Amino acid sequence: MSRPMLRHSDAQTIEVSFTLNGRLQEIEVEPHELLLNVIRERLGLTGVKLSCDVQVCGACTLLVDGRPVSACTTLAFEVRGRSVLTIEGLAEDGKLHPLQDAFIEHGGFQCGFCTPGMILAAKALLDENPNPTEDELKHFMHGNICRCTGYKKIIESIMAAAKLMRERA
Amino acid sequence: MQFQKEVEIAVPLEKVWNFIWDVDRFIACVPGCREAKTLEAGKRYSATMVEKVGPFKVEFPTIIEVLERDELRRIKARASGADNKIGSRMKIELDVNLREQGGKTVLGFIAGVDILGKLAALGHGIIKRKADQVLDEFAQAVKKRLEGDSQDA
Amino acid sequence: MLRRFRLEEPESVQEAADLLSRYGDGAKVYAGGTELLLAMKEGLVHYERLINVKQLKGLNEVKLDDGTVSIGALCTHHQLETAPLLKERLPALVELEKNVANVRVRQAGTIGGNLCFAEPHADPGTLLLALGATLVAQRSSSRREIASADFFIDAYETCLAADEVLSEIRIPAPAAKSGIAYLKFGYLERPSVGVAIALTLNGGISDAKIAVGCAGPAPKRVAEAEAMLTGKSIEEASRNLASAGQAAGRAAQAISDLHGAQDYKEHIVGVLLKRAFQRAVG
Repeated sequence: MSRPMLRHSDAQTIEVSFTLNGRLQEIEVEPHELLLNVIRERLGLTGVKLSCDVQVCGACTLLVDGRPVSACTTLAFEVRGRSVLTIEGLAEDGKLHPLQDAFIEHGGFQCGFCTPGMILAAKALLDENPNPTEDELKHFMHGNICRCTGYKKIIESIMAAAKLMRERA
Repeated sequence: MQFQKEVEIAVPLEKVWNFIWDVDRFIACVPGCREAKTLEAGKRYSATMVEKVGPFKVEFPTIIEVLERDELRRIKARASGADNKIGSRMKIELDVNLREQGGKTVLGFIAGVDILGKLAALGHGIIKRKADQVLDEFAQAVKKRLEGDSQDA
Repeated sequence: MLRRFRLEEPESVQEAADLLSRYGDGAKVYAGGTELLLAMKEGLVHYERLINVKQLKGLNEVKLDDGTVSIGALCTHHQLETAPLLKERLPALVELEKNVANVRVRQAGTIGGNLCFAEPHADPGTLLLALGATLVAQRSSSRREIASADFFIDAYETCLAADEVLSEIRIPAPAAKSGIAYLKFGYLERPSVGVAIALTLNGGISDAKIAVGCAGPAPKRVAEAEAMLTGKSIEEASRNLASAGQAAGRAAQAISDLHGAQDYKEHIVGVLLKRAFQRAVG
């Protein structure tokens, strides 16, 4: 359910029809609204985080058509006709995604603030390259910053998930 | 940021000194400076400084205060302004000095420029180059004005 | 939070140029927004109208045009890093595009936007200079080709007129035996120093193009350094590398700031030039 907003009477609005975590969503946005705010404030999905606000840290990573974007620097109307995946949409029927399992099992997070973005970015990596080398993983994940873990456990988690996903495929 | 400029003007010292206090004409030499007004003769002046770096435009309504005046020799002044649209402040400490050299006047100035606020995010390097450019143009404009005037006279 | 603006979505480049002409300072071309939206969020700029150009047809292709590589201005960095044609013909450009910013910026950001915003700390411009690229700009009823050496005027300033839309980047086919390399250095979010070299090799070095970027306000070719390598054997050119590096450092117009002191950056230019040369001659 998206909450309606009070609008300036002659504000330009854009109809945005998009798939959110597998379900059709239809909202109306003004051109200047940012995707991060729409997802968090209007659609109530707060897994995506506001952190640096300059698309450098990756805490606001969302997948749009399977590719990672910075929600803090993406205008909301840009997802019209596209599919958006947030961290809330990763688990299916209550069953965690292998990446989520791996992060838990291998200690891939501490405070958890970077984690939704980390996991989504990792999903995009593995969808593109199911068997990355550590260098390839680091290169892809270079734009997702973690202040707690020192990255070792994150790399282990992603590699472990990759192995599991390859075995299941 | 500190800047030091010197320009040699083929015009007697007194003329240069008087020119400085002819506020409208003097301010007209500062690139991007408009609407110069005398608030208190010899003491306080106002102007608007407009500068552009690529797409970034700033407009600083500026107050200029004369702090010290050493007749025919030296002026110390301070200019400060704020652009609230862009959330930035500018402060310039200016030390202007004149001396005679072989029948010409050497006009020198030392400027301490501080830019605070969002504009500083553009990068210290860019602001420094812009400020340097503005001061260069200013010095040359003063020279041209005075030398040009003396030719007409 | 951004201030309100109107979104325009013209159907043709001509229409886009018309809108820019009509609204002047109040309108800006908007593609990936990876630079523009940041500046707008900071409040450093504001536009009443953003002219979306992503829906314009034919501006996001990578193709071969009689030997010349043609890159649409709307190609994202991600498109360029994965384009088979570029992997085959300009692997140095692929390598550069792979390392622009981060994966999210590469996904949304376009090469056209990168060049037109002319942020000093950017990569593509420097290599395009060394490749002798030309840029195609269109307005309502005309089109012009701009040599890359004339494109960058200053920090955040290109030679494009207010109503011009960059549509294409054209890179002439490198010589059959070429050595091309781009190296950058930095530890902040954006690169601090970038050096590109393009050598035509036939026994010796019959042509050398050198460009420096990031250290100064705009990327530049360095004729003085090029002269020290052109027409020389590889051994002779190698001996000139230190001097060429110094010339390139001076040409960079480096300024002391958070990215480093002026002499430090000039030194790094020299180091990168040497390494890029070694990589280019293989």
